[in-house]
Amino acid sequence: MGSGTWSTDVYGAAAHYRDAAGTSAFDYSDRVTTSSPRHTWTAHASLDPKGLTTRESRDSDEHPASLALAVLFDVTGSMRAVPRALQTKLPELFGLLLRKGYVEHPQILFGAVGDATCDRVPLQIGQFESDNRMDDDLGNFLLEGGGGGQMTESYELALYAMARHTSIDCHEKRGRRGYLFLIGDEMPYGKVKAREVRAVFGDDLAEDIPLPSILAEVQRKFDVYFIVPAGATHVGNAAVLGTWRKLLGQNVIELDDLGAVCETLALTVGLGEEAIDLAAGLDDLADIGSDAGGTVGKALATLGRGRGTVAHSTAPLIDTVGTPGPGGTTRL
Amino acid sequence: MHTIVVDLGYGDAGKGTVVDRLCVPRPGAAPVSAVIRFNGGAQAAHNVVTTDGRHHTFAQFGSGTFSGIPTHLSRLMMVDPAALAIEARHLASLGVPDPLALLTVDRRARLTTPYHAAANRARERARGTARHGSCGMGIGETAAYALAHPADAPTAGDCTSRTALRRKLTLLRDRLTAAVGPLDAPPVDACTAAFTAFADHVTLVDESHLPGLLRRGPAVFEGAQGVLLDEWHGFHPYTTWSTTTFDGAETLLAEAGRPHTALRLGVVRTYTTRHGPGPLVTEDPALAAALPEPHNGHGRWQGGFRAGHFDAPAHAYAVAACGGVDGLAVTHLDAPARHPALRLARGYRTPDGPMDRIPAARPGDLRRQQALTERLLTARPDRWQTPGSDPRDWTDALSDALSAPVLLTSCGPTAADKTGPPDGPSTTWPVSAGRATAGQPGSRSRCPETSPA
Repeated sequence: MGSGTWSTDVYGAAAHYRDAAGTSAFDYSDRVTTSSPRHTWTAHASLDPKGLTTRESRDSDEHPASLALAVLFDVTGSMRAVPRALQTKLPELFGLLLRKGYVEHPQILFGAVGDATCDRVPLQIGQFESDNRMDDDLGNFLLEGGGGGQMTESYELALYAMARHTSIDCHEKRGRRGYLFLIGDEMPYGKVKAREVRAVFGDDLAEDIPLPSILAEVQRKFDVYFIVPAGATHVGNAAVLGTWRKLLGQNVIELDDLGAVCETLALTVGLGEEAIDLAAGLDDLADIGSDAGGTVGKALATLGRGRGTVAHSTAPLIDTVGTPGPGGTTRL
Repeated sequence: MHTIVVDLGYGDAGKGTVVDRLCVPRPGAAPVSAVIRFNGGAQAAHNVVTTDGRHHTFAQFGSGTFSGIPTHLSRLMMVDPAALAIEARHLASLGVPDPLALLTVDRRARLTTPYHAAANRARERARGTARHGSCGMGIGETAAYALAHPADAPTAGDCTSRTALRRKLTLLRDRLTAAVGPLDAPPVDACTAAFTAFADHVTLVDESHLPGLLRRGPAVFEGAQGVLLDEWHGFHPYTTWSTTTFDGAETLLAEAGRPHTALRLGVVRTYTTRHGPGPLVTEDPALAAALPEPHNGHGRWQGGFRAGHFDAPAHAYAVAACGGVDGLAVTHLDAPARHPALRLARGYRTPDGPMDRIPAARPGDLRRQQALTERLLTARPDRWQTPGSDPRDWTDALSDALSAPVLLTSCGPTAADKTGPPDGPSTTWPVSAGRATAGQPGSRSRCPETSPA
C-alpha cells in the first residue's frame, strides 16, 4: 500500500485544474491510432521520409558552433515507452547539455524506427532543432506499436537516412562528428534493400547496400551508439546484444531503466566532448537532483573507462553463414 | 456480473494489474461500465503496465483507465483533490486523452486535505520508532476527523461553495493545529482555490448515479490495500483506518438495490509481501533480493518493502475474516521459475506450540487483535510445501490452501500476461463451478521462462 507518488501540492493542483483537462503528449498518435484503421495510418507530414531531401544542422549567428545530435528510437511493441520518456524528460536533456556546459549549441533531431517488412510507417525523421520545437516533433510521432516479432527492425533504413540525407556543419565545417543514438531492443536487417528505400524514401538505388557499408558511411559523420534496455524481453537478447557489439563495439549501452535515457544521452555526449569524466557527470546528475546516477553510471561504465575510441573489430561484422533464429529461420 | 477485487494480504498483491485485465475489452463480452473505488483514498498505489510499455501507479483513478473505463469515486472513498490533479496530469502525459472527464465523484465523499496530511506526519513523527507504517498522506486523519466531527468534515460537494468550504477548512485546520501543533500546510485560501477548481472540472454526482452505472453493464469494484491491514481484522496496531474487505462494495451494491450480485475475487501473489512494520511471519530477506520490486520502494513514511514465502495461514485467515471469496486471482506466477526455492508455509511454530490457523473473531475487539499480533510476532513458519517451478502446481497448491478456485492468473505486468476470465459472450464468471474450474484446461497458463517484466 501507499504511494506518495502524486504530489499533494495545492498550488500545482490549482494550476492544473485551471489548465483544464490536460492533453496528451502524443496527440497525433492517439488521434490516428484511435480513430482510423491500421492500413490507413501514415506518418505526420513533417516526419515522413518520402521525398526526404536533407535534414540540416547548420551554424547561425545565434548558434555559431552547432553540434548535431540524432536520437532514433524503436516505436514498436514495448519500446513505445521510450518516446514518452523522452517527452517528459526532454528539459533535462537540454538542461544538462547546456547548463553544465557539455555542449554550447546542440541541435537535436528525433526519429522513429519500425519494421519495413510489416509496418505501415517504418521510419519517421524529424528536423534538427535547437529549441523546444522538437517537442512538436515528438508530439507528431506515430507510435505504431507493430513490429514483426522477428527480433529485427529496420535500423538499417535509419542509418541510410542519416548517411545519405543529412548535412551537418559540425562535421563539414569543423571536422567534428555528430552523435547518433539508436534506441531499441532488436537487430537490424543485414542490408539496406533497394526496394524498401524506393517505397520509404522514393530514392532509386541501383542495388542493395550491405549493412557494414552503410554503417561505415554514417560513422564518417556520426559517432553511433546503440542503447538497449538491459535484460530486454527477448529470449534472444544475447543475439541482439552480440550483433550490435560486433557492429559498434563498446558503443552499445545497456540501460537498466529507460526512464534514465535522457541522462544517459547527455552524459554520453559530455564524455564524447571530453567535457567531463564519468565521475564528474554523475556529480552533475546529483547536482540537478536526478536520481538516475546509479543506473547511468552502470550503463556508461565501459564508455567512461575507455572513451574516445570506437572499437573497430576485424572480425566479420555479421556472421556470413547466418545464425538460425528462433523458429528456425535463417537471418542476416 | 459485477466483480469486487480485494487483496487478501497486506496490499501490493496486484489488484491494479487484475483490474486492468478485467477492463480490457474482450470479444463478445459487455464492456465494463465503470471502476468503482469503495475504500481508502489517494494512498492506494496500484501499478499498471500497458502492453506498449506505459506505466502508471494508480492512486485515485481506477486501474481500467488505460482502456478508457470511467472511474467512480463512491461515497466511501476519501478524495484528495490536490493529488488527483497531479495524477490526471501524469495520465495525460501517457496518452489518456482527458483523464478528468473519465471521473465521477460522489458529493458525499470525504476530502483529504493538506491539513490531514500534515497532522498525519506530525503524529507519525511523534511515534518515533513505534511507527505504524502510515503513508503520511492523511488518510487515517481524514477518517478520524469525519468520525469525530461528522457535520464539519469537508466533502466533495462542499467544493461547489467557496464560503462553506472555507469555513470547514478553517475549522479543520484550527482543530488539528490544536491537537498536534503547527501544521506544515498551505493557507486556507490556497486550498480553497484548488478545491473549488477541482469541483469545476470533475463531475460531482448524487446517490442516483451508482444504480445507473450498475444497470449499464458489469462494474469492477477496486479495493485498496489488503484484508490483513483492515481496521478491525488486521493485526493491530499495524493496520489502516479503512475497511479493506468486501464490505464497502457489498454496502454500495445493497444501497443501489443490487445486493449480492458481484463475484468476490481475492488477489494473492505467489509470495507474501508487506510494506512497513508489523507481522510478516514468513519473511525471508533473501526473497526481496531475489525478486526485486520494480514499483515498490522504500517509503519515507512507510518504511521498507518486505517479502516472505507464501503465508497460507495468514491468507486463509484473510479469506475467513472477509467472509469468503468466490475465486482467486494469483499474480507473480513467474516468480517460482525465477526463484525455485519459493515455497508455502502451511503452519507456524510459536512458543505456545504449533499454530496451523489464525482464528478469526468477531470484528471490534482490538485488544484481542493486539494479543494476536504479539503472538504472530513470535511465530516462525513451519510445515513447508514446495510446489516447484511449474505455475500449475502453484495454482493447485494455492487453491488448496485457500479452498477457492483460481479464476485468473498472471505471470507478468501487462494484461497480455494474464489468463482468465473466460472470453465469450457472457461476462459470467464460473462461480458455481467451484474448485472444478481450476482443473479446466486453459484456465491456467504456463508462464514463459523469462519474466516479461
